[in-house]
Amino acid sequence: MIDFERQIGPWSVRVWGLILNFMGNALALYGAAGVLRNGSRWPILIIGLLLTVGCVLILAIPTPDPTDTDRNDG
Amino acid sequence: MAHSAPRYPLATQIPGDVLDAEVAELVRLRRQPPVRRLAGYLRLGGPGFMNAALTLGAGTLTATMLAGATFGYRLMWLTWVSMGLGVFMMMAAARFACLGGFAVVDMQNRYHGWIVGSGLTALVGTVFVAVAFNFGQYSLGTHLLESLTPFFGFAFPRQVNWVLYLGLTSWLILTYGRLAGRGARLVEGVMKAGIAIMLVCFGVCLAVVGVNWSEALHGLVVPWLPPGGPGLDLFIAASAAAVGVMDWVLLNYAGLTRGWGRHHESLARFDVTVGLFIPFVLVNLMVGGVFAATLFEQGQPPETAPELAAALAPLLGETWAPIVFYVGFLAVPVTTTVGMSIAAAMALHAAMGWQPDTSSWRWRASALLPQVGFLAVWYPNPIQLIIVIGAFLSLTNNVVGWSFFLLLNDRRVLGADRSRSYLWNLGILLQITLLNGVAVLYIFNRLGWWI
Repeated sequence: MIDFERQIGPWSVRVWGLILNFMGNALALYGAAGVLRNGSRWPILIIGLLLTVGCVLILAIPTPDPTDTDRNDG
Repeated sequence: MAHSAPRYPLATQIPGDVLDAEVAELVRLRRQPPVRRLAGYLRLGGPGFMNAALTLGAGTLTATMLAGATFGYRLMWLTWVSMGLGVFMMMAAARFACLGGFAVVDMQNRYHGWIVGSGLTALVGTVFVAVAFNFGQYSLGTHLLESLTPFFGFAFPRQVNWVLYLGLTSWLILTYGRLAGRGARLVEGVMKAGIAIMLVCFGVCLAVVGVNWSEALHGLVVPWLPPGGPGLDLFIAASAAAVGVMDWVLLNYAGLTRGWGRHHESLARFDVTVGLFIPFVLVNLMVGGVFAATLFEQGQPPETAPELAAALAPLLGETWAPIVFYVGFLAVPVTTTVGMSIAAAMALHAAMGWQPDTSSWRWRASALLPQVGFLAVWYPNPIQLIIVIGAFLSLTNNVVGWSFFLLLNDRRVLGADRSRSYLWNLGILLQITLLNGVAVLYIFNRLGWWI
């Protein structure tokens, strides 16, 4: 089970996942531009799409909670 | 009972017994058959309708008209996809108000920093957008008044009629949050009426010009992207129009102003679906359809909203049809000016850490700040400027979207009330991906990397 709230450097795993998703989106569109223009950059398009789909499917998993007693303090 | 937590300052005017009676009514409605529940929710709803009225502004409708006039029915899929995904984020804003009981900018400042909260969400995504976009509302509203009045036998030039526009909208803006809570209901009622006028008027116009059903259905279900340059900017603006930061902020703060609490979440969901999603999609489809069936067939459409409206009017035939079109269209900028100005005042107070007090001069000045848009009366083409600004703002939408998603899933923020739904998270992430894509497309378009 992924701990999305674990800190890695300045941000949590979920934030890093969002950044990775953004990179996947950019790669997919960069690849798509090449494919639509002259049929090139297929590998970039596929890598971008796989990254995007993977990130979205994984990041959508709700934060697991062992206790649920920690209510909002603000 | 349900309102023991500290209330948003604008909600403190509402007497406690009124709020408790509303909660009791909601509990009672939950046990009623669907039709009665629907009628009750329609009566009690409001912030969702305000959002629809806010979103259906000059920028959105100009993008829709241009899309219809330039590309026919081919971009229609974008309307329901972008707003459909937008609904997931709106539900998050409602959750923050109903179960979290917090103002979103405060929480963003605490957990994601001042730049994301006060900076990108409140000041850039809401206040700046309200001020900049209100130029477009004034330009459109005053042009429409100028075009409409000759049908009634008198001239009312925009250099004069802006005073009427300013007076009417300022009165509505300053009424919000006053009259012991009834001001918010009054303004929401005006917004509902504005949406009803748009639906009826544009529906009549669509019936007059007719629909090419096979092309319309194809455009609704088959995604299509326009080629680079201005066409892509138009696509980006149309995408961003449905999923703006200001909409998320307004729903959160308007819900807090109405005293929404734990028992209001089902009402909030109804409000977002029936008050926002359905009117937004219907109005855009109707307007896009009217222009696809008329100006697209003729080719070489004009570029500004007033020119588009003026070009369309004679194609509607009978005198009454252009009048109906102009009346429906006039509701667009009026309701948007009101909604944006209220959102700007809330956001400015949130960004600066001020206590909202609608009787204070600070609130009035903040709420009337976007009214500087009246200067658009002397500016030739602010709508085009707004499409460019709208496309630029897509760069900030996605970062704020990330922040909302993180808050919704943060144990420290919502505790047991955080998102437990995989599908809800998936919807938000798809919207974030759309926002990311729009931002990337904007950059690619500027760099000449797109087709």
